[in-house]
Amino acid sequence: MTLTTTPVPLARRRRLPVMPWLLLSGSVALLGVMTGYPVVRLLVMSFQEYERAQLMGMPAEWVGLQNYVDVLSDVDGFWTVLLRSVVFMAACVTLTMVLGMLVALLMIRVGKVLRTLVTVGLLFAWAMPTLAGTIVWGWIFDTEYGVVNNLLTRVTGESWMGHSWLLDPLTFFMILTFIIVWGALPFVTFTLYAGLTQIPGEVLEAAELDGANGFQRFRLIQLPFVSSIVTVLVVLSMIWDLRVFTQVFALQGIGGDREQTNTIGVYIYQTGMAQGHYGLAGAIGVIFVFIMLGLSFYYVRRTVREEEL
Amino acid sequence: MKKNRLVVAAASTITLALALTACGGNEEPTDGGDATGEVRVWLVGSDTNDEARALLKETFEAENPGSTLTIEEQSWTGLVDKYTAALAGSDAPDLVEVGNTQAAAFTSSGYFQEITAEQFEELGGDDLLPGFVEAGDWEGKHYALPYYSGSRVVFYSKQVLGDTPVPTTLDEYVATAAGLHTADRSGIYWPGQDWYNALPFIWENGGFVAEPKDDGTWEAGFSSEGGIAGLTQIQEAFATSNAPKDGQETDLQVPFCEGKVGFLSAPSWIQWSINAPEEPEAEDGVPGCASTYGSDLVAFPLPGKDGGVAQTFAGGSNIAIAKNSPNPDLAYKALQIILSDEYQSIIGAAGLVPAKVSLAGTVDQTNPIAAAGVEAAANARLTPASPKWADVEAAGLLASAFTKIASGEDVETVAKDLDAQIEEILNP
Repeated sequence: MTLTTTPVPLARRRRLPVMPWLLLSGSVALLGVMTGYPVVRLLVMSFQEYERAQLMGMPAEWVGLQNYVDVLSDVDGFWTVLLRSVVFMAACVTLTMVLGMLVALLMIRVGKVLRTLVTVGLLFAWAMPTLAGTIVWGWIFDTEYGVVNNLLTRVTGESWMGHSWLLDPLTFFMILTFIIVWGALPFVTFTLYAGLTQIPGEVLEAAELDGANGFQRFRLIQLPFVSSIVTVLVVLSMIWDLRVFTQVFALQGIGGDREQTNTIGVYIYQTGMAQGHYGLAGAIGVIFVFIMLGLSFYYVRRTVREEEL
Repeated sequence: MKKNRLVVAAASTITLALALTACGGNEEPTDGGDATGEVRVWLVGSDTNDEARALLKETFEAENPGSTLTIEEQSWTGLVDKYTAALAGSDAPDLVEVGNTQAAAFTSSGYFQEITAEQFEELGGDDLLPGFVEAGDWEGKHYALPYYSGSRVVFYSKQVLGDTPVPTTLDEYVATAAGLHTADRSGIYWPGQDWYNALPFIWENGGFVAEPKDDGTWEAGFSSEGGIAGLTQIQEAFATSNAPKDGQETDLQVPFCEGKVGFLSAPSWIQWSINAPEEPEAEDGVPGCASTYGSDLVAFPLPGKDGGVAQTFAGGSNIAIAKNSPNPDLAYKALQIILSDEYQSIIGAAGLVPAKVSLAGTVDQTNPIAAAGVEAAANARLTPASPKWADVEAAGLLASAFTKIASGEDVETVAKDLDAQIEEILNP
């Protein structure tokens, strides 16, 4: 703006752009209270020795970067949990995107009745409160009375009763992946479906006349058309699946070994709320915020660029 | 691409909407005045029976006209986490029950109001259970007072046990259980996360959980000679159990009522869950099996290594007034009722050990289960007296380690790892 040399009428320059700021104020205030303040508090806390006593009003001592040093040098704790979370997130996002795309493509092809059925089914999964959903999944895989063990016993003829699915971290994460993907699928599917239906029919028809088969049409027309949506969805899913908390926490309550199944969200909670090391948890939180910012930066930049087109 | 922008915008809006719905907190306005007010009492689990709850509410509201008392039941799972946040906030409850081994985490960081020497005398003084008074003290001052104590006893039904004699030593107990064990019946029903039941084996075999050294630091003892012997025997006992290796000690009446359990080591009040009607009267009641396996339910105190009664874990609760209580004076009045002889006698009649030594006689001696509980309590021990101990519990280290023992992992490795983790928390 400062480089603009074209003379601007005085009257126009003086008028404050009230309307945009007024429209912005609501969300800014909301973000300030809901996100801004907690983040600042987190940042301050991460440089202090902050335990339960400090929560009750004892003055907190500044410890500089000590909390960060403790966290970053904790290979068995922090780094293991972070790596586990990232691998888990990658698996969940891949699965969600592939399945979401397949269901979205299916919804375009099937008739009205079936489409409504699929939509209703997806909406049910979406409407299910996370905690309730996780508990039900936990029952399905229950060691003693679970329907999966019962079914497997009937089908295979061997006794699966008493098989603990949550005990082995690998099957624990398998079930967790079910829950997460099941919960994330509706949003991804609906958004992709919305994007795919925007593709002009004549383009696809033309491609078909030119002899492009189904897969080629998908790869060369449909996918490029919705690529911006896919990117946004991937980034959003990455953020959601990385910070997942409720499902892991609730499933750990049902069974399994906490130490071997902690993801970053639960780990922060364990360190802070359960053990009362708020300073340490704050430091992990801040590091995690930066990781999230890195991911979000891409998302925001992408959205802004989209606007400029 | 214009239309796609709309979809992206819609996606972003939905994201915001999701974020907003996630934070719809409900703040209740708390009126300050102490003359009348609403007192909120947090009791944990179903250990306090309905009779005691009704007495507390009715007596309090009769003595303090205009005030109300609400009992809000909390869950033992994640209690430390919940209290840490809830008691520090402005919406704190007035009177809270806390596990005796968890009390130190809160007394040491100023979560509870001090009980003055006069108040302490008024509430019972030296008559209060000494071990529990100690658990609620911090730096010579009283903060949390005893609420009740209860040790675990071993339940069984003759219908399952048949002519098998009741074991008289710890080794016999495990051997008998191994004999009872079939694919469909547990010798000892023991979910892997239940570490309370494991401690007697450690102590009876000469091990210890953690002890202070001369230099003031703590040394964990699961990998000591006695600790390893205890863990090995625990693993043998786990092998007789069909319970989930990573299960928790909740709803123990369910497998017992199916007749799939030989021995069940559990807090004495579990008898009311087992010996409950199949069709519960209350709408939210839990079905038991009063007409089948509950009808001849009996219990004995866990036998020691050399006979007698084993050193069991002294379970129980303390009760305290929250520092941020909106009505501390009214909370104190409620505390007076809870520690009154009348209230504590109900606790005693329900099969728990009352908070006052002089009321030990109120425990129903005609009920063999209650009698077994008293016998077990006489030889009960506490967890290490470190303010950090609650963090060990909250981190789930013991539950995690015993899950590994239950699933057959190498005892020595588990013990060494566990000791290292405990020492890391106790010696920051």
